[in-house]
Amino acid sequence: MKKIRKSFRLPIKILKTLIKDSIQYPTRIVVDTIAILARCGILLILYWYVFKLSNGVINGTTFIFAAWSIFFYFSFMLLRLRDISRLMMQDIQSGNVEVLFSKPISYLSYRMWWQVGSGLYSFVVITILAAIALGLIIGLPYTMVIGIFIPTLLLTFLCGIVLSLFMYAIVGLLSFWIEDINPVFWIVDKIVMILGGSYLPVALFPPLMKKIALYTPFGASQFVTHTVYESWQTNWYQLVGIQLFWIVLLGLVAYFMFLKAREKVSVNGG
Amino acid sequence: MKEIKFALYAIKKNIQSSAELRTSFVMNIIGMSINNIVFIVIWGFFIKSVGIINGWTVADIVGLQGFVALCFGIVFSAGAGIRKLADYVASGAFDRFMLSPKNLLVRIATSSFGASAVGDIVFGVVCLVIYAVLIQASIYQILLIISLVIISVIVFLSAALVVYSASFYFTDADAVTKSLFELFLTPSLFHGGAFQGVMRFIFTFVIPSLLVGTLPVEIVRDASLEKLLPVCVLTVLWFIFSIKIFNRAVKKYESSNFMTFGN
Repeated sequence: MKKIRKSFRLPIKILKTLIKDSIQYPTRIVVDTIAILARCGILLILYWYVFKLSNGVINGTTFIFAAWSIFFYFSFMLLRLRDISRLMMQDIQSGNVEVLFSKPISYLSYRMWWQVGSGLYSFVVITILAAIALGLIIGLPYTMVIGIFIPTLLLTFLCGIVLSLFMYAIVGLLSFWIEDINPVFWIVDKIVMILGGSYLPVALFPPLMKKIALYTPFGASQFVTHTVYESWQTNWYQLVGIQLFWIVLLGLVAYFMFLKAREKVSVNGG
Repeated sequence: MKEIKFALYAIKKNIQSSAELRTSFVMNIIGMSINNIVFIVIWGFFIKSVGIINGWTVADIVGLQGFVALCFGIVFSAGAGIRKLADYVASGAFDRFMLSPKNLLVRIATSSFGASAVGDIVFGVVCLVIYAVLIQASIYQILLIISLVIISVIVFLSAALVVYSASFYFTDADAVTKSLFELFLTPSLFHGGAFQGVMRFIFTFVIPSLLVGTLPVEIVRDASLEKLLPVCVLTVLWFIFSIKIFNRAVKKYESSNFMTFGN
């Protein structure tokens, strides 16, 4: 019991510190609100217009489903999990990684908890407020009020967090071998953007694209956008299973890459 | 003339400096070009699912992405320093620009070079060539594309200047300016045909996002002088406004005095 408590001491400390830090800088929440308005807000208005032009139905989907799906994508993005790649690159380029390696903590888990903590406050506050606003403006689809929705949403959300962290950590770890990971980051990030259902909701995907989104880690990391659709009620366990498969696989890849990367680092002191 | 000569010299030196890290330089250009294709794919699938909205076809999307990428590339490759304004102000590095005998704006803009933005230029040019082929552009339309690129670049530069001038007003300026810039850039990449009514008004007159891509595409497509004239007038107004805002914002600067006279 003591051991478990001890292993959670660092994550709790990191999360507490970063949440306190976020509260101290209220402009950050304003900034995140502007960002979500710029992307999600404008996109939803455009889709509202487009659905109106198409008599309310496109590909068998109505605006309310598409809107909530898009909203979940952008809300998830508020966690800024993808920034872990760049932070790791900065650590490596600046030499900060040497300092972190010499501490009695796991570098990977430290960076992951740090990433979760840095976006958590904005995510919670903006998601709650925006969800209430969206619910009041367009209402809730019936799929969101059935019993299975909340537990499965939380499950796929947590799996999405872990999977995203592993995926972007792998990109970040590449910094040990290549001097600038930005091009790789852009490509991975944009594939996630397409397959995650950001600007084009998953219901409007062509069949082939839908399959690619289902069976690749890029799409799997954003399965939270699938939760509003009717099909989620029958195939949620399959999708969560796919997420778990990618978590195990990418977790192993990240772990072995990290072991290899450690061998490349030489701490010279100073 | 002297200032232009200085700007060209600074840009040349910045390019040489960036090209020193050859692999990274080339990777940035290729990576950014691939990165930009995504928007064409997304809106291409959108049109496939939804159909043509207000006359906007896949060709128009290619043109839109071309205009926006080219503007972004030109402004933020040669003038990447504008994006660092928040950092310069916060760190006190802005002092060295104030002390320089050169034009302040030119000096700031050319203080850095964005290698990845060259990828945007390449992507933008390719897209506009494809666009011209797809719409079977006449000589008149090709001339319109060239002149509209210049107009769009001026609008883009003006919008960037207004946004990054906010660096002088906020303590957490880096995050604020990034978000404000997002508010300008993101709508410019959206399907132009979906902007109608109030949205079109807001993103033309209040935030000039549509002036950068959507309106140029519609002008070229319709070969319309009627639309070109108001766009030119708005461009001039935005440029004057941005210079005024920038000059006023600079007066708010207070040296952080970090003793950073170098680099």
